[in-house]
Amino acid sequence: MNASQARRSTPLPIGVLAAIGIAFIGAPIAALLIRAPWSDVLDQLSSSGAWTALRLSIIVSLAAAGLSFVLGAPVAWVLARGAIPGRAFVRALVILPLVLPPVVGGVGLLAALGRSGVVGRWLDAAGIQLTFTIWGAIVATTFVAIPLVILATESGLRSLDPRFERAAAAMGASRWYVLRRVTIPLLRPQLAAGLVLAWARALGEFGATITFAGNLAGRTQTLPLAVYQARQTDPGAAIIVSLILVVLSLLVLVTMRDRIFAR
Amino acid sequence: MTLSVGLWITRGELQIHADFDADEGTTVALLGPNGAGKSTVVDCLAGLTDPDDGWISLNHETWIDVPTGRFTPPEERSVGVVFQTGLLFPHLSANENVAFPLRARGVPTPRARERAGALLGRLGFPADRADARPGELSGGEAQRVALGRALIHEPRLLLLDEPTTSLDVRARSELRPLIRSILAGFAGVRVLVTHDPVEAMTLADLIVVLEHGRVTQRGTPDEFRNAPRTSYVADLVGVNLFAGRLEPSGDGAGRVVTPGGDVIVAWPGTLPGVALDDVLAVLRPADVSLHVAEPEGSARNVLHGTIAEIAIEGERARVRLHSAPPIVAEVTRGSVDRLGLREGGAVWASFKAVEVRLIVP
Amino acid sequence: MRFRRLLVTAICAALALAACTSNGPSGSDSSPRAIELTVFAASSLTAAFTQIGSDFEAANPGTTVTFNFGSSGDLAASIESEGTADVFASASGTYMDDVSNKVGVSGRADFAQNRLVVITPPENPAGVTSLEGLAKPGVQVVLAAEGVPVGDYARESLKSAGIEKAVIANVVSNEEDDASVVAKVTSGEADAAIVYVSDVTSAVAPQVRAVQIPDAVNVLATYPIAVVSSTTHPETAQSFVDYVTAPDGQATLADFGFLPPPAA
Repeated sequence: MNASQARRSTPLPIGVLAAIGIAFIGAPIAALLIRAPWSDVLDQLSSSGAWTALRLSIIVSLAAAGLSFVLGAPVAWVLARGAIPGRAFVRALVILPLVLPPVVGGVGLLAALGRSGVVGRWLDAAGIQLTFTIWGAIVATTFVAIPLVILATESGLRSLDPRFERAAAAMGASRWYVLRRVTIPLLRPQLAAGLVLAWARALGEFGATITFAGNLAGRTQTLPLAVYQARQTDPGAAIIVSLILVVLSLLVLVTMRDRIFAR
Repeated sequence: MTLSVGLWITRGELQIHADFDADEGTTVALLGPNGAGKSTVVDCLAGLTDPDDGWISLNHETWIDVPTGRFTPPEERSVGVVFQTGLLFPHLSANENVAFPLRARGVPTPRARERAGALLGRLGFPADRADARPGELSGGEAQRVALGRALIHEPRLLLLDEPTTSLDVRARSELRPLIRSILAGFAGVRVLVTHDPVEAMTLADLIVVLEHGRVTQRGTPDEFRNAPRTSYVADLVGVNLFAGRLEPSGDGAGRVVTPGGDVIVAWPGTLPGVALDDVLAVLRPADVSLHVAEPEGSARNVLHGTIAEIAIEGERARVRLHSAPPIVAEVTRGSVDRLGLREGGAVWASFKAVEVRLIVP
Repeated sequence: MRFRRLLVTAICAALALAACTSNGPSGSDSSPRAIELTVFAASSLTAAFTQIGSDFEAANPGTTVTFNFGSSGDLAASIESEGTADVFASASGTYMDDVSNKVGVSGRADFAQNRLVVITPPENPAGVTSLEGLAKPGVQVVLAAEGVPVGDYARESLKSAGIEKAVIANVVSNEEDDASVVAKVTSGEADAAIVYVSDVTSAVAPQVRAVQIPDAVNVLATYPIAVVSSTTHPETAQSFVDYVTAPDGQATLADFGFLPPPAA
């Protein structure tokens, strides 16, 4: 083997570990496909409330992604460009939901926004209840997904050449126009990546949702909760519903891969 | 309409201080070596950065006045800029880039695109490329788009930051006439940043030379030709410049003592016979004769040295000598051949004392 | 270079081999000492069995009891697929039947009974004073999910009280085990819930208000315990089961709110 051949071929240790890594990820998915009770798929789907859970999951995850963007992008702006004191602290704070176990997030949300929570009691007095409602599910999933939007957007803002925005201003554009027509379009790849990752995280969220919003079919039982419940009564149904989640996630991740990984 | 500029800016290690005034309908060339701070001055004029101190005003309308804190935001100034690196918006097409200043000011999109298209046409931009992105354009095409974007909203100040520097030779020669006609036809004040002396000398009404952040000379091209003040400028205009102390040597002559050597000059009748510091002496290269053997004659300055460089420009040759002091001579190409001049070879040079023009402080 | 590759491959192979080999004692009780017993028990038994576990360990030095608490259905499924339990204590006979059919059990005995009770937050925001109060429109009720024994029992009880449909309409969340149901009430989120009497432990009692369910409509949940046939410690497992049904174990269960098993 000559020098260029040696450089191109994968070294054996790397190849072995990579194969194990790929198998590690692929095996559970493949096992789901193998073990699924394909013969009565349709029965399983209707009895497990899978369609309702799917509809709910789509609504909740999209709403959470949207809310994450509306609240998260401005936070990223302040972190990247604002002159607030204690920026390092704020940045650590907004990463916290990524690091904390989701159930802990749920417990915290209860303490803050539950019916007798610190803020929740005021909401309760005004007749607004978040727990046990779809809004609660949206709040819980937004809590865990928002750091992804913030991280992606902040990194995009930092890598943006500020001269474009100032040049646009020199051409007569107001701050709002510059934001709309220059900053956001130039940030589109990072914004899209943040949104997709936040959506994916929201789709798979379980711990915070079940703790804060509860589990009721048609109102708060998203696909992950449906899988958990199906395990009690019918493991076969649990596999089918799990596969729905896998397919849904793969669909979006594959179609959006260029946005996430390329500029 | 007058542009009045006085700027103090610090850029890293460089401290820049530039000031000049210009009337409407004139072109100011900002000339200087790389790193002198020219682009920073232009950035300030465009509103891309702010100076540490100073002022910019156009026709008594103050754009920025640091001492009093007055500041007009960039979007309210009337300036068009062509950047050295283009800075075309990568997410917009050529037409959209040109239309941007209009749309930012509220002109409806169809009208803006129409005007942009028309302007691009006048600038020689091929119509079928109007929807291409900047990344797909050639250097020449991109600069036409940049020019269009700078001109479309009819600004009162036009800034061109080395518009042809990043182009290849052919694009440059195509774009030069275009830029010349734009400058000539532009009604407001034009500021052109360049390091090309030919551009400065031919296009500008006022030249401001910036070296290491300081203005070392400002004036018309003629003033530059006749009285360069620094060796950079002298090199630019192609003359020999000697700076030093003028000492009388009796018999109606004097000598300018420079670190590189002495030059014998005719003593000016108006000067008293005492030594004088900080004197400049200018000698045109064409006034220097070259010889293969030590010349005899009336020339008071006779130098011996080796040829450092011979630069042929058409029928002329500029010969630079390692001599005391170093000197540039201009002879015909035929003479180079006839005398057998070659780089590294030894040669004699001579010029008359009366041919040296003195500039006293 | 080749030697290094060989070495790394050898290490990978060794790791793989080590992982494949089952760790832990193989075969039957080789040594009466140092036995680790795994007990799968319904989550309503958490407090009681933890106490029983330490008592059993004290009485049988060298034995460690490890518990896996969860909802009986989960545990049954786990035993059927993994089979790592020595003892199974279920909150319902159905799941014990499941395990008996699929894996096999021995020494099965009913060891306790439990009743249901309604709990509300201390301030009783929805003014629930009886089981029928759960049917009032607007009351936010939390139950365990269907398939979880206490959830099935609760629905049975509501059915015999004739208010099942009305109360189900009020259910805002189906939890996965009784502990989660209790949590929803202690945190003040639910207006009312149905749990086991044994769930109102001394720790929980101050944080809830209990409303009795009349015997006529209450459900008597019978808890069976058995040795799982695939156990590797049949004797120790049986002696654990015996301890639970013996007076000491029974006394502990009574302390924690359980009722004695039906008379044999």
